[in-house]
Amino acid sequence: MSASARRWFEEIEIGEESVSPGRTVTEADIVLFAGLSGDYNILHTDAEYMKSSIFGERIAHGLLGLAIQSGLFSRAGIPYATLGFGTLRWKFKGPIKIGDTIHVHAKVSAKKETDKPDRGVITVERQVLNQRNEVVQEGETELVVERRPSA
Amino acid sequence: MASPSQFYFEDVALHGVLDTPAMTITEAHVGLYAGISQDASVQPGLVPELLPLCLTPGLGWRVNQPPLAVMAFMGFEWEVLHPVRVGDTIHSRSRTAVKRSMREGGVIIEERQVINQNGEVVQKGRFTFLVAKRPAA
Repeated sequence: MSASARRWFEEIEIGEESVSPGRTVTEADIVLFAGLSGDYNILHTDAEYMKSSIFGERIAHGLLGLAIQSGLFSRAGIPYATLGFGTLRWKFKGPIKIGDTIHVHAKVSAKKETDKPDRGVITVERQVLNQRNEVVQEGETELVVERRPSA
Repeated sequence: MASPSQFYFEDVALHGVLDTPAMTITEAHVGLYAGISQDASVQPGLVPELLPLCLTPGLGWRVNQPPLAVMAFMGFEWEVLHPVRVGDTIHSRSRTAVKRSMREGGVIIEERQVINQNGEVVQKGRFTFLVAKRPAA
């Protein structure tokens, strides 16, 4: 990847917003995530039991929604020169059901320098919305982002 | 239909600590995670930070007690302290920090840590669940 395809800490502005493409969450996504994570909770795996639940059907794991939004965010605009996550604060507001199409709306709410000269911390507020524009997940992530290397 | 065996709000001990069995993170875990998340920033050899977090509920499933009767996973706070690499072996330790009875079910807040083969806490945070109460007989 060329250096120009990633945005340095200095290039990211407080208040900037981005909207990701959408992604339709399928039964296969839920089955694969159950297999990978080992979380076989009946909420995600027992279609018959879930017919009588308040959701009426199986729902996606909350952490599957988190993983999917992370991928969608990486496709929203030019990616940051991200070194990694620092912290996350996250709320699950509503179910993601099979066939729902979700996208991410992100906004940079803060920037701070660190004691390391090669990196800074960007705070991104994110909302995950479904096809009816209902917020199904929301939260705040702190990303450690590289500074522009000095020439 | 008979209800499956579950661990209800009443069964959870306040301040109780649970250690899960461990699991070695492989390139296969990373590849599967990259495919499911479609996260273009996932690089070979490095474990994406969200993967150990995503594995903690399943590690909990391998503890020898019925699964927690989760009605809803309400949210979490999480801190990434150290990197996890392919080949590392992690397990999870959780402690029930808060137990709050509600009219419908109860809220459980768990402090959870991900610990590697050297005993280092690599990730930690708090999970909040709404858990069902035992149905009246």
